[in-house]
Amino acid sequence: MSKILQIASSRRAWAWPYVLFMLLFVVLPLILVGYYALTDINGTFTLHNFAKFFTHSEAISTFLYSVMIAVLNTLICLLLGYPAAYIMAMADFKTPKVMAMLFILPMWINFLLRTVATVELFNMLGLPLGEGALLFGLCYDYLPFMIYPIYNTLQKMDTSLIEAAQDLGANRRTCFWKVVVPLSMPGVYSGIVMVFMPTVSTFAIAELLTHNNIKLFGSLIQDYITTTDLLNYGAVLSLVLLVIIGLTSFFGDHDSAGGEKGGLV
Amino acid sequence: MMTKVKGERLKMKGLLGWFVLSIFIFQFSVCKAQSNITYTLRVGAADEVALLNDFPEVYAGEKVNIKVESLALRVECLDSLDFVFAKEGTEALRAWGDSVYSFTNEASGEWTLWRNHKEIKNRAQRVLVQNAYGTFEQYVREQTVVESHVVAWLGWILAGLLLAAGIVYAIVTVVRRRAERELPAVEQETLRRRRMGNRRHYGSQLYLWLLLLVLYAPIALIAVFSFTESKVLGNWTGFSMHLYGNLFTGNAGAGLNSAIIYTVVIALIAAVCSTILGTLAAIGIYNMRARQRQMVSFLNSVPMINPDIITGISLFLLFVALGVSQGLATVCIAHVVFCTPYVVLSVLPRLSRMNPNTYEAALDLGATPAQALRMVMLPELWPGMLSGFVLALTLSVDDFGVTFFTKGSGGLETLSTFIYSDARKGGLTPELRPLFTIILLVMLTVLVVINIRASREKKD
Repeated sequence: MSKILQIASSRRAWAWPYVLFMLLFVVLPLILVGYYALTDINGTFTLHNFAKFFTHSEAISTFLYSVMIAVLNTLICLLLGYPAAYIMAMADFKTPKVMAMLFILPMWINFLLRTVATVELFNMLGLPLGEGALLFGLCYDYLPFMIYPIYNTLQKMDTSLIEAAQDLGANRRTCFWKVVVPLSMPGVYSGIVMVFMPTVSTFAIAELLTHNNIKLFGSLIQDYITTTDLLNYGAVLSLVLLVIIGLTSFFGDHDSAGGEKGGLV
Repeated sequence: MMTKVKGERLKMKGLLGWFVLSIFIFQFSVCKAQSNITYTLRVGAADEVALLNDFPEVYAGEKVNIKVESLALRVECLDSLDFVFAKEGTEALRAWGDSVYSFTNEASGEWTLWRNHKEIKNRAQRVLVQNAYGTFEQYVREQTVVESHVVAWLGWILAGLLLAAGIVYAIVTVVRRRAERELPAVEQETLRRRRMGNRRHYGSQLYLWLLLLVLYAPIALIAVFSFTESKVLGNWTGFSMHLYGNLFTGNAGAGLNSAIIYTVVIALIAAVCSTILGTLAAIGIYNMRARQRQMVSFLNSVPMINPDIITGISLFLLFVALGVSQGLATVCIAHVVFCTPYVVLSVLPRLSRMNPNTYEAALDLGATPAQALRMVMLPELWPGMLSGFVLALTLSVDDFGVTFFTKGSGGLETLSTFIYSDARKGGLTPELRPLFTIILLVMLTVLVVINIRASREKKD
């Protein structure tokens, strides 16, 4: 009994339940994805499912299409979001926080409901549903994830650096490109990662926004994984997605946790 | 020096990524430009229909037009595939699966039948079209290319621009480096002196407001149409509080009611569990040695990096492998998985702010670990725990992806999955509109109060 108390009083041990929990419900499931990808329905080892992916043109083209959409969406979000974050961080609003808050607030409305509302808006305006609607909807859903980290880094930036640059004779453009942009890069990187990753893995949004006419990779995975006899192939597709996520985190690996979800609270 | 090296490496990484990206986009555009064929099926008037009895092959994602001319029509889907019927330019019947539709309207013009499902390539689609002249099966009339090439075109342009920009950037950098090396240091100081103007930028503020306008347009649509009775969003039938009444008296339908209850229950369970687990974990992590700490922190970041769908699928596979039947318990576990890391991250800063010796002091003064935790640690940690708790609540309520894969098929629905299946069936339950208007207002008030408080505290 006293030994148990001793262990409990060593506070390091307090993390062990959590570590165990994570090993069981995060690490083991991820290993299982690999296991299912490498086995067939009876549990015997096979590479057949991988081979199937590389010859399955629907999967390949859907995959390419999804990555493309994600890239486009990330670029659009960056182009729209950077100026917004910059203006918010630089302009002397009486209440800059309220402005930032207004950009975050839509995230508290369920994203599926927002997507349905977007669809209805398009219908009301007589706009066709399709790729345009898809890009609009995705951008609409993920723009706050781009704005917030950039805004955060810009706001924490030492403004005396800008003043120093100006004093040394830099004009506004030079000042922006040589001082502000490089200093905000961590925010940009984490913004890109935070927009790209959910976009590339998105499912359920695309079918609503395009009248079920465009299928993204996430929906494809969903279809296979929920079909019992195709589950193993679904696991292969999930692995492909995991590789993309891994690559993204490699390129965006600048440990700037500037904008976690809902960082305003 | 260090920072410079780091910067260079970052630049190289960036440039590498840039080129990979542009080549990829180019590849893709080629791919996309070639794969844009859509078929159109038309069903004409009865006599016309009767002549066409060939059975078509239908491909995924195509658009099918059914032309109906002044006849009452009944369409029956015999395969359990997904269907959407829409009349050109209007919002019409949408449905999925084995359903029967009757159009008894004026019915002239083109109806569009949309469908999309996996593994239907080379599989014939049987649709029964029934009218005054009898029952007919489905017919191919013409093939047309309907889909636009917007993305392919954007891709071409983008790839070109990106490649060009990357090449120009690389060349300019190389040339500049060479030139700079030859210049004396003083020459590099010749910068133009132009001062930054201090005017107010109305244009840029306008940009912000425009962006907000677009962001809020769909939400405003929900809020505005919560005050009318119409079943369809976008159809104003006069001011009414009927939907609010339905929501509060529980007349919104059993599905929505249970979805609301489950959402609240799951969010509370997940938030409480993850707050306890996360706080203990944070205390443990804080007291670990650097290496151990690094490893656990990495473990902690995995669920945050993982997209919803991966977390959901991997847990789904775990539950399948363990043979656990999925339901409330599995959803709660899944929610704790993705909520706890955020709790850990919101408690850790509190710990580093607090004096590490107070806990030991309490123990030395005779407190049991439990007492020390309750009376010394908790008062210091509770703001972090509270924000972790609130974060967990919102994450749990908002989650769709993870819930979708772990809820099983026992009829458990949270608000997110309810909205999803609702939207797939074609049209939202109207009572969702007042519900989310209320949520929006509550959130708005909470955020305003928090911010006012924060600014007051700053002043003090």
